[in-house]
Amino acid sequence: MYSTELVVQTFISGILIGVLYALMALGITFIYSIMRMINWAMGEFYMIGSYLQYMLVAWLLGPDLWWLAILVSTAGVFVLGLFTEWSLLKPIFSKPPEIRSDYATVITLALLLMLRSLATGIAGPNQFTPGSNLPIVMVGPMPLAGARVAAFVFALVALGVFWAVLRYTWYGLALRATSQSRVGVQTAGIDVLRVDRVAFGIGVALAGLAGALLAPVFLVFPTNGLVTTVKGFEIVVIGGLGSIPGALIAGVALGLVESFGAAFVDSAYQNIYGFALVLLILVLRPNGLFGERGREA
Amino acid sequence: MTTLLSVDNVFAAYQPGVDILQGMSLTVPEGGFVLVIGPNGAGKSTLLKTVFGMLEARGGIALDGKPIANLPSHEIKRLGVSYLPQELNTFPHLTVEENLKVGGWTLRKQPALLKERIARIHEIFPVLAERRRSKAGSLSGGQGRMLSVAREMIAEPRLMLVDEPTVGLAPNLAEQVYELLQIARRAISTSILLVDQNVSDALRHAEDVVMMNLGTVKAAGPVAEFGEARVRALIQECLLG
Repeated sequence: MYSTELVVQTFISGILIGVLYALMALGITFIYSIMRMINWAMGEFYMIGSYLQYMLVAWLLGPDLWWLAILVSTAGVFVLGLFTEWSLLKPIFSKPPEIRSDYATVITLALLLMLRSLATGIAGPNQFTPGSNLPIVMVGPMPLAGARVAAFVFALVALGVFWAVLRYTWYGLALRATSQSRVGVQTAGIDVLRVDRVAFGIGVALAGLAGALLAPVFLVFPTNGLVTTVKGFEIVVIGGLGSIPGALIAGVALGLVESFGAAFVDSAYQNIYGFALVLLILVLRPNGLFGERGREA
Repeated sequence: MTTLLSVDNVFAAYQPGVDILQGMSLTVPEGGFVLVIGPNGAGKSTLLKTVFGMLEARGGIALDGKPIANLPSHEIKRLGVSYLPQELNTFPHLTVEENLKVGGWTLRKQPALLKERIARIHEIFPVLAERRRSKAGSLSGGQGRMLSVAREMIAEPRLMLVDEPTVGLAPNLAEQVYELLQIARRAISTSILLVDQNVSDALRHAEDVVMMNLGTVKAAGPVAEFGEARVRALIQECLLG
């Protein structure tokens, strides 16, 4: 029989990783809800976040200032996102071809290949890990790796800040409005191209944050964003494309399904359980748990 | 009367080489109400989109004599031009209050003024005050149109570009929409450039009329010169070539 202790530990482990997956999914769905494009290079921004974290901790700040490294890494990926949007995507969105979202999506595929090759060329295929001197944390009777708990807390704070910005700031209002009608925000005098740029920056910064937070757990190498990106898209399908609450709830659900599957069925198939959940959701609710928010134009 | 908007020999296209506007010219006087009519495909909606900076223009567009052609929409809005597109221009998942706040985006750094403007809108349209916390998507069709117009009134534009506001509406609702535009005109002294297919009703509210065909002016003048019989004859001419 399985012990209560194991069930609780598995539950906590699932929640911890689920919230981090949710960050990635939130980035994907947030960019989609504003720009109506899929950013296939999300995993590469995750990868850049993890490399920045490694370099800052290993070479500049040291393990004690891991939290500062996370802030700097996230900010760095945000700035890179702004530059990417300005240089590669804005030229497409500022002209009116009907299929500009499709063109933009293809550009992100090219970006994926370029960034991954660049990382391999510069850093090689080696795996790195930023040192962590965070102690084991006891959650009740459960010992948990300090880096995981810190990542979870950081992710929760980031999600709280993200929600507060959307809910209480003028820019958050503009972002929420843009997700519903691009024409509507233009008629209100909002610079929709600037909103795109900020949304893209925030979206990839969420991926960069996930990369930085998970660097001590999942290591740092050129393709480390691949698995997390796949999980991000799984969550988006489960939660519903364009739904922010859907991304959060589905992220935690995926974390729990994987965690319980690995603990109670077979850990060798951990990644399969998520796909099984995706298939189940597609059969029962093809639009995902929370469907898709409407856009008028 | 002073000219507020002048469109002078403007060409515009959705696809390169296929001009929808082909040398379009018109003027809107300060405080005026100009109605643009014409058969389907004449370029009426394209005209409004071009003035509002959503399409690239070749030719002259000026507001108060200052060129505004090809400025981005948000800058044109700041200069005092509003655009009400054909579709219901609300954000269905935002509350009525939030919709009005988005309408006041250009006033976001003047919170006291914005509050005052929203309070004024609540006075003019009490139903929007009653439903301020409701999602815009839950409003009736008429209330949704009211919110669209009210949202544009917040910034107190000098010129409102209004595209087919009554399309798909029942006759009683259509009359309410014209009344909304007249309220806007009286309350904030705005000028109106209205594109409408509902010619007979729209003619009762306009002061000047421009008939468009094939992206240019077919006929123009004071509304008194556009009786129903003449309008019918002009549209027949347009359709028959």
